Amino acid sequence: MISVPVILSVMFLGGVLAWLANRFVPKGASWTAAIIAAFAGYLVFALPSCGGEYTLALGSITLVWKSTNYSALFAMLVAVLGFLGILYSMDFMAGKKNLGYYYMNFLFALGAMLGIVYSQDLVSLFFFWEVMTWSSFMLVIYSGEEKSHKAGIKYFAYSAIGAYLILSAIVILYAQSNSFLLSENVKMFSGMSLGTQIMVISFLALGFGVKSAMMPLHVWAPEAYKESPSGFTAVFSGALSKMGIFGLGLVVFKFAANTEFFVYVRETLAWLGGLTAMLATFYAVIQSDAKKLLAYSSIGQLGYIIVGLALGTPLGIMAALFLTIMHGAFKAMLFMSAGAVYMRTGTTSLDDVSGLITKMPLTFLTALFGIISVAGIPPLGGFISKWMLYQALLETNHYFLIIVIFIASTAAFLYLYRFIFSLFLGQREKEFEHVKEVPWSMLVPMMLLTLFVLVAGVFPGLVLDPIGKAMGYLGNFKASWEPQVVFSAWGEKINMQVIAGTIGTIFILGALFIGFKNRKATRVVSTKDIHTAGEIPTENENLTYAVNFNQPFERAIAPILKWSVDKLFNLLGENLESTFEYLRYVYTGNGQTYAMYVILMVVILILFSGSIFGIHL
Amino acid sequence: MDSSTWLKILGYIITPITAFVVGVTYGGIVRVITARVQNRFGPPITQNFWDIIKLYSKKTAVHHGLMQHWGPVFAITASVTSLFFIPVLKDSPLWLNNSFNGDIIFLLYMMVFGSLGMALGAGQTGNPNSAIGVARGLALMVGYEVPFVLALVAIMIQFKTTSIAELMAVQDGFSNWLIFQSPFAFIAAILAFLGMMHYAPFDVTFAPAEIASGPASEFGGKYLALMQTSGSIFTFAKLVLFTDIFLGGAGDLVTLIVKTFLLYMIPVLTGIVNPRYRTEQAITFFWKWPTVFGIIAILIVVL
Repeated sequence: MISVPVILSVMFLGGVLAWLANRFVPKGASWTAAIIAAFAGYLVFALPSCGGEYTLALGSITLVWKSTNYSALFAMLVAVLGFLGILYSMDFMAGKKNLGYYYMNFLFALGAMLGIVYSQDLVSLFFFWEVMTWSSFMLVIYSGEEKSHKAGIKYFAYSAIGAYLILSAIVILYAQSNSFLLSENVKMFSGMSLGTQIMVISFLALGFGVKSAMMPLHVWAPEAYKESPSGFTAVFSGALSKMGIFGLGLVVFKFAANTEFFVYVRETLAWLGGLTAMLATFYAVIQSDAKKLLAYSSIGQLGYIIVGLALGTPLGIMAALFLTIMHGAFKAMLFMSAGAVYMRTGTTSLDDVSGLITKMPLTFLTALFGIISVAGIPPLGGFISKWMLYQALLETNHYFLIIVIFIASTAAFLYLYRFIFSLFLGQREKEFEHVKEVPWSMLVPMMLLTLFVLVAGVFPGLVLDPIGKAMGYLGNFKASWEPQVVFSAWGEKINMQVIAGTIGTIFILGALFIGFKNRKATRVVSTKDIHTAGEIPTENENLTYAVNFNQPFERAIAPILKWSVDKLFNLLGENLESTFEYLRYVYTGNGQTYAMYVILMVVILILFSGSIFGIHL
Repeated sequence: MDSSTWLKILGYIITPITAFVVGVTYGGIVRVITARVQNRFGPPITQNFWDIIKLYSKKTAVHHGLMQHWGPVFAITASVTSLFFIPVLKDSPLWLNNSFNGDIIFLLYMMVFGSLGMALGAGQTGNPNSAIGVARGLALMVGYEVPFVLALVAIMIQFKTTSIAELMAVQDGFSNWLIFQSPFAFIAAILAFLGMMHYAPFDVTFAPAEIASGPASEFGGKYLALMQTSGSIFTFAKLVLFTDIFLGGAGDLVTLIVKTFLLYMIPVLTGIVNPRYRTEQAITFFWKWPTVFGIIAILIVVL
């Protein structure tokens, strides 16, 4: 019998098992973790057909776990990316220290994410939310270096603020409805006072906004993504940040939809999302580290998702959820290829690495499909989400927001090209002569995801079917699509069969022509054999153009960056930094201290809940 | 197969050929016009044909890796696919191709496909000038995309459609052309068009005297031939797109050629008499007056 507790126990007990395995069997942790993740993944996919609700009464609190269509969508994303992330980690992490710790926290994070999406009550939602934050924090500080500790503390501090906001919202809700059940609270929400409604919605939106790295709450993300091991970063950006989106979806369509100020909530979120998308893209353009670049790109892409959700039309939500899945796939691909480069060269700096395409062709192919998908170029999956998003923006009369989104997605070409050019193209340098392709266990996840973005692009209906069901959970949303055709509310359509067919046919014809014409006389030359106006470059002459790659664009947007960075964010940042100096006395970076805080918090809640909130647990 | 299928197949064959012939001829005419302005005699109009034929018949071909090998294939894929999704002539089944299966938003992204493939190919050559050219080209694209999209959004929300065929349908008389119905959108779009065509003052990407033709500098023989073929087809595709959107499209080939030629002369003549901008100047140019015109165009529709 497959049920939610079974899946959760497999994940959590599996985590402990992986930790134990590491102590007794060499390589035991990675194999255990991979088997556990695969098994749990199978259970997640089998669960929806079993259905069923699991209830657990703990005193006056009732915990309810159930798989809804909405949670099934996110659970599948978590399960697939989690398994692929662990598979990727097997060789990526091989030979590193503390593998038991790594896989245990990895599986805990996956289990917690599944717990979040299956929770039908606020207590278990919050509990799993905390477990997720903790285990991901442990993985951010995995390397144990000073930088990772700094990134980890920043991440934890922001997450803690977010978590306390969510907790406050839960307490406020409980005080009004006397129930922790999600369905009960949703039912009674429209009857609550305006002040309560505003407080609950803003607290929840901010709390979930932290995880989805919505500006200006994104500060933790670039560092945390950069410092965490790449196998986990793929899941971190691909699935874990989507928990914020999961929560925002509930806030917008379950809570805010029943209020009178629904339209303001949506507009605020839409503009926050749009500005996040644009500014994060600009920041991504000026990064010189591959993982930081991808981190900012991730923030920007989540901005699009928030815009789509906030539009509130069937097409908008469909675009958001489609992008949620696609972003999970293509950002995992990009983080994995960045990780592969890191494994072989020891750096992710875009200024240092170059010309790896001949050494790591399959990694390059993954990165290529990844960037084409992020850029939204047909016929890959990213394009369909972009198309739906623009159609949704047009049909809801967001004339200026659509411009912001367009700027963001055009500027994205700059950083995407920089990413692939700096790492894989350009001059082949001698110091990378020894570089080899990564082992199969890392290539398999990358190749599977590559295949997925291609299939999802040509047959969007495959992904839209579960999304359509998930939309049914959020409200009465109807959108129309066929396996290969997507329609907009204005009656426009894109026919992926024709599009992919045309592109494929012409490309193959062109490739045949270029391949067979004068095949014998075609030869490959080295990257030193280039047009340099008569000067012959010597063997050791450095002709790589990588440092300050996007300088022209940087100069052009200097006024914008200056205005926003210097005047706004720096001021905010400096103030926050000095606040954090004090916070460091609280957040010591020591796990035991944090455990003590949680216990203290619970004690305070139990002791004073009556006098503060008027509730008696 | 019935006659309509045969007509369709014939359309797929003659559309790119026409686009190629017209595009290359335009290229030849531009060379003559440029020469006359500079007080030279200039090559014959057919010169570009001979150049391309010569390149196709070259035996040796040199490349730096598979990505460069396939770069021109990406380019020709993008230009021919874009062309297939643009209605070339109004109400003629022979020239419609796939235009009912995609829309303006699709075309915006499809057009980038070729640039990206070219950029990847140029990147693999390892020539620093190519990389510089690509960085400039992509940055310039962010520049002109802003007024261009503002103009398109203004039109799309005015007629509540993103389909080119439907936009052509609403322009059924001379006075209904969108150039007269929404003049500000046209101004914004045509200014963006200057950047899109890469003529001076916006020729930062290829800048022959500065970065040795940038992205194209390492391509020769069959690669350059395919790229020039693709470039000619792409030029024609862009011209037809603008004609369809703003000048009411065309019912027959002669009208189409007159309209596209007049449209083409705008960037060409601007280019002949202008020096080159620096890249950041070229980008910020589009964020000033063209953007203002675009915003006015949207405000007119909304208010």
